[in-house]
Amino acid sequence: MMPDANGIALEARDLRKAFGGVHAVDGCSFAVPRGKICGLIGPNGSGKTTTFNLLTGLAQPDGGQVLHDGVDIAGLKPYRIFRRGITRTFQITRVFREMTVLENMLSVTGLAVPDRVARERAGELIALVNLTHLRGEYGGRLSYGQQKLLEFARALMTDPDVILLDEPAAGVNRTLLQQLLEQIHRLQETGKTILIVEHDMNVIMNHCERIFVMDYGVKIAEGPPSEIQGNERVIEAYFGRRQSGVVHAG
Amino acid sequence: MDDRAEMLGPEKAGRETAFSRPFADTAPAVAPAVGRRRGRGWMERSEVRSLYLLAAFLVAAYALPFVIGIRYGTVRWDAEWLGYLGTVVLSGFLQGGVYAMFAVGLTMIFGVMRIINAAHGEWVMMGAYLTWAAFFYLGVDPLLSLVFTLPIAFVFGMVVQKLLLNAVVGQPELTGLLVTFGLGLTMIYVAELIFTTDFRTIPYAPHSVQITDSIAVSQNKLISFTMALAISVGVYFLLKLTRIGKAIRATALNAEVAMVCGVNVGLIYLITTGIAASLAVAGGALVSIQFGFNPETGIIYTLQAFTIIILGGRGHYLGALIGGFMLAVLESLVSLMIPNGTAMVELAAYGLLIAVLLIRPGGLMGVKEG
Repeated sequence: MMPDANGIALEARDLRKAFGGVHAVDGCSFAVPRGKICGLIGPNGSGKTTTFNLLTGLAQPDGGQVLHDGVDIAGLKPYRIFRRGITRTFQITRVFREMTVLENMLSVTGLAVPDRVARERAGELIALVNLTHLRGEYGGRLSYGQQKLLEFARALMTDPDVILLDEPAAGVNRTLLQQLLEQIHRLQETGKTILIVEHDMNVIMNHCERIFVMDYGVKIAEGPPSEIQGNERVIEAYFGRRQSGVVHAG
Repeated sequence: MDDRAEMLGPEKAGRETAFSRPFADTAPAVAPAVGRRRGRGWMERSEVRSLYLLAAFLVAAYALPFVIGIRYGTVRWDAEWLGYLGTVVLSGFLQGGVYAMFAVGLTMIFGVMRIINAAHGEWVMMGAYLTWAAFFYLGVDPLLSLVFTLPIAFVFGMVVQKLLLNAVVGQPELTGLLVTFGLGLTMIYVAELIFTTDFRTIPYAPHSVQITDSIAVSQNKLISFTMALAISVGVYFLLKLTRIGKAIRATALNAEVAMVCGVNVGLIYLITTGIAASLAVAGGALVSIQFGFNPETGIIYTLQAFTIIILGGRGHYLGALIGGFMLAVLESLVSLMIPNGTAMVELAAYGLLIAVLLIRPGGLMGVKEG
């Protein structure tokens, strides 16, 4: 796969998805530059998770394109998108609860490597997120934060190109979060592209180089953190609701 | 922005302190408390109560044949009768292994696709006829014929998946139940067309093996049990150790996550049904060397498989194993002690099925979460 000339790893073009009469994603376009950590934010119900589902094939778009390295992957089966090197984690952790930590890692398929190599890699990644002492433990027995780490490690099994993280900070304590963020930066150094959906503004503003803001299924703003913080539309859509509804958000 | 994070903070932070700590020091703190509970979480009180109730019911169910037997004088407590008892319990146990094997197929389909396969007994019946046809027309040894009946079954399962079940995956459970019920009926009539409704038997290793002075079981039961055990263990290791097995289990635990872990879920469905059909056909081969069968015997096996997986807990492989043994032993007790017991055997399965659904619908192990 040749990287796109513009250095765009993943691009959504006029993505659309409606559930019944609700237009969850309504003509959303954004481009994630290669090798960057980007943030996707927006109030609840603005369509972030649906966008993630469209990008990873879990939902079929009603219209629009998803370009990975310039190739349209919209509507492909999830495992095909996965095998192109796009992996993700979920907002609410979804480890396989009745599989051990190691089995969780090895359940990832599509690795064109022998079993022994896969095991080695799984071991390395488990060590990376400091879960080695729990490798034989069932996924459902881990703490919430540990499940997040496991899910993160699992998403790295195939040495992916683009990693989508859905609220990596939610429910994770500070120490853990710091380690997770360090890992994310380390991944970026190796040339990975990372897109994060997150409600924790500290994470978004301090760690993302570019931020896309969604509201009502469309992108309303895009730019580096400093610009987004001062953007009036964002403040209106997002922070303007602080008095009324933000407590319930997230 | 900062207060937004803080507003979200306390709830999340509370959760964190309750369940975990910085992960550097979790090992000593978590490991002892965690134990080896198979990730099922703590049971709620009502769960525990229904489990006790079910256990009490099962004890009563096992005691009932004795009570009725004493009432009708079929229980004698002399050495000869105790020999009979030992014999039927042992052969029931051996039979249970075969039941468990084909019930595992049913539980697999349910676990992976949430489809209740009402044609499972007909698949067993198909296995019996395949074995019979190989034996009578080609003169192939019933056990040897597994070499080609199993691949046939696997392909058959994949075709059924492709043509019928793919259309009902993700639909309400009743849809799958009706579709497979229709498939079962179709198979019965096709079998009647080809083989007529006559009962068939395969004479195979009918001699008895003397275990003790008074306990004896027939060779074919021992052979069937050994085969069933070997196949079940094989499937267990397939699921536990191989990559395809992990993919099947991953799909059963959460199909959506399996998809984004690169599992080709459509292919897993095909393989699952292929394996399930193979298990059913192997079960058919193993019962065909012990019992007579006609196209309608499949219904009894469906009922038995249903009872077994409901008793064991839908989606649980170990549950299917336990359920298989429990049902078969109960059946053998009923047939020994209750007058006209052989006709009452089906009643045992029905009774067990209904009682488990009333007392503890999740069965012994509870329904596997989806």
